[in-house]
Amino acid sequence: MFYMIKLENVFKSYILGDEEVVAVKDVSLTIKEKEFIGIMGTSGSGKSTLMHLIGLLEQPSKGKIYLDGKDISKLTDNELSKIRNKTVGFVFQSFNLINRFTVFENILLPTKYSKELLKFDPKAKAEDLLKRFGIYERRNFFPNKISGGQQQRVAIVRALIMGPKIILADEPTGNLDSKTGEEILDILGNLNREFGVTVILVTHEHDIAAKTKRQIYIKDGQLVERYL
Amino acid sequence: MVNIKEYTHLMKAAIEDFRRNKVRTALTSLGIMIGVMSVVLLIALGLGLKNYIEDQFNSMGANLVMIMPGSGISGGTGAGMVGGAEFDERDVNSLIRIPNVKYVIPVFFKAAGVEAGGEKKNSYIMGVNEDYFRLMNKELIGGEEFTKSDVAAGTKVTVLGYALADNLFENPTDAVGKTVRLENLRVKVIGVMEKTGDNEGDNAVILPYKATYGSLNPKKTFWSLYIGVESKDQVTNVKEGVEETLLKRYKEDDFSVTDQTDLLSTVNQIFNIVNSVLIAIGSISLLVGGIGIMNIMYATVTERTKEVGIRRAVGATQRDILLQFLTESLILSVFGGVLGLIFASLIVLVVRIFFPAAINLLSVLITFGISSAIGVFFGVFPARRAARLTPIEAIRYE
Ligand SMILES: Nc1ncnc2c1ncn2[C@@H]1O[C@H](COP(=O)(O)OP(=O)(O)O)[C@@H](O)[C@H]1O
Ligand SMILES: [Mg+2]
Repeated sequence: MFYMIKLENVFKSYILGDEEVVAVKDVSLTIKEKEFIGIMGTSGSGKSTLMHLIGLLEQPSKGKIYLDGKDISKLTDNELSKIRNKTVGFVFQSFNLINRFTVFENILLPTKYSKELLKFDPKAKAEDLLKRFGIYERRNFFPNKISGGQQQRVAIVRALIMGPKIILADEPTGNLDSKTGEEILDILGNLNREFGVTVILVTHEHDIAAKTKRQIYIKDGQLVERYL
Repeated sequence: MVNIKEYTHLMKAAIEDFRRNKVRTALTSLGIMIGVMSVVLLIALGLGLKNYIEDQFNSMGANLVMIMPGSGISGGTGAGMVGGAEFDERDVNSLIRIPNVKYVIPVFFKAAGVEAGGEKKNSYIMGVNEDYFRLMNKELIGGEEFTKSDVAAGTKVTVLGYALADNLFENPTDAVGKTVRLENLRVKVIGVMEKTGDNEGDNAVILPYKATYGSLNPKKTFWSLYIGVESKDQVTNVKEGVEETLLKRYKEDDFSVTDQTDLLSTVNQIFNIVNSVLIAIGSISLLVGGIGIMNIMYATVTERTKEVGIRRAVGATQRDILLQFLTESLILSVFGGVLGLIFASLIVLVVRIFFPAAINLLSVLITFGISSAIGVFFGVFPARRAARLTPIEAIRYE
């Protein structure tokens, strides 16, 4: 069976003063290609940490992570950066756009870091995506001059521009009202359905998790059978 | 390696960024600009001082040998007042016989008041012969020099220094034809010298030495003797000849024979000290400028740590981040350095009207190198710290 993401006994702990905080504890998990999966858990349960590990934004303290067939503990900074650039797209709760850059510049940012010749015209693709997500008119605005829903769409377009296999969305609706949140969830669902992108959605709300095809539950850093 | 395409992209991105952050860019460049400007200026002034002093010496005549009473140049004037040899016409006659000596000029020197039309000014009386004008490269702005026969006859005529003529008369050239009084002596002004910038020359009353015989110079002696040598490479031989000749009449400690090189080496020693002080002051301002650059760069990178994290999350390598900050700080340093140079050059151009300041290429290159190094070091050092955080640490950095 081909897996997109595989975690084997992964731990992540932080040292805070003299104390060791274990954020992710002995997690083993396999996610297949083209899955739409929800990670559920209360605040502080370790969801974000798990996402950051999968998205190569930090390294596990113990255990192995395989991404698209590669053991990531064996990769150099250049190789890790290349995967972040090409294979994974991140969508954060707080958008994480660069406020000094316009919408258009934010979207083009990943294309600047491609170490291979791009197989597409970045500007044309950016415009195309902007139109598709209804924010083309906002392309020359700065992020703080557009609504939260629009900012999250910009973040999604930025995550999509390099044509990733995986989208990691960490509470993407957390800062949005429920109607706008619905729209963002629909977009993510569509990406999975129409383009076959593996989508991992982190949330602490049941009705949001219900939109995904499979749910995983995490409590105190460990995977659990469904709780409640 | 960085290829050309990547590099042009980095440059473009950096320049775009400067456009977005004009204040930050201006402040950083300002630090470097001030550093480079002050060092280049200080060195230019130091060199100017050296040129000025050398000019002064050259204007005295390059083939000049001076005979002074006393045992050294430093004590020359004082020793002449209290003791040492008192030269006279006999010395002039014996010295002129030394091979390769072109001129021997007796110099009677006395500070005295000069009067004309009710005005009285301080002046320096110099009794010399007609060769003085040639040996010392003195040019006139009006009238004429006194001649050999004026000197032989002791004619009561004089050539005035520029400032003195200017102070005594409405226009300096008005002095020609007028009579001035030196103590009890009345002399006719026949010429006015051009401005030299040195106090003694500009306030001189130059007259045939025989005209001073009498109340001004009853003993008929001279304070000093100036010797003009035919060419520069004969100076050493002539000095030896002079010493030999004078030792027949005076004791070794009663006179000293010096030439330009002796004086210049003393002056150069002084200049080197002055220059070191200037360079030290310049280095301090470069350091202060460097600390300014460091602060701004540090604040810039810290403020942009979250941005570094975002860039890393979308695929920037540590090297990409470092190159970005390196390019930015390099451009800022070079830009600030060039501005500093331009301002320093403009100031030097203005200063040159009064003073022969000069910009020296080596000092420019060194200053430029140091300021760029400071800019780059303090630009890249904090950037390296940011690049080494994990992407998520950088994103969360507040
Ligand atoms: N960088 C860090 N340093 C210390 N503790 C951390 C860090 N990141 C997360 N944690 C801790 O790990 C636990 C899980 O955090 P997180 O993954 O953000 O949870 P969630 O996203 O489910 O709310 C929390 O107790 C949190 O305080
Ligand atoms: Mg979280």
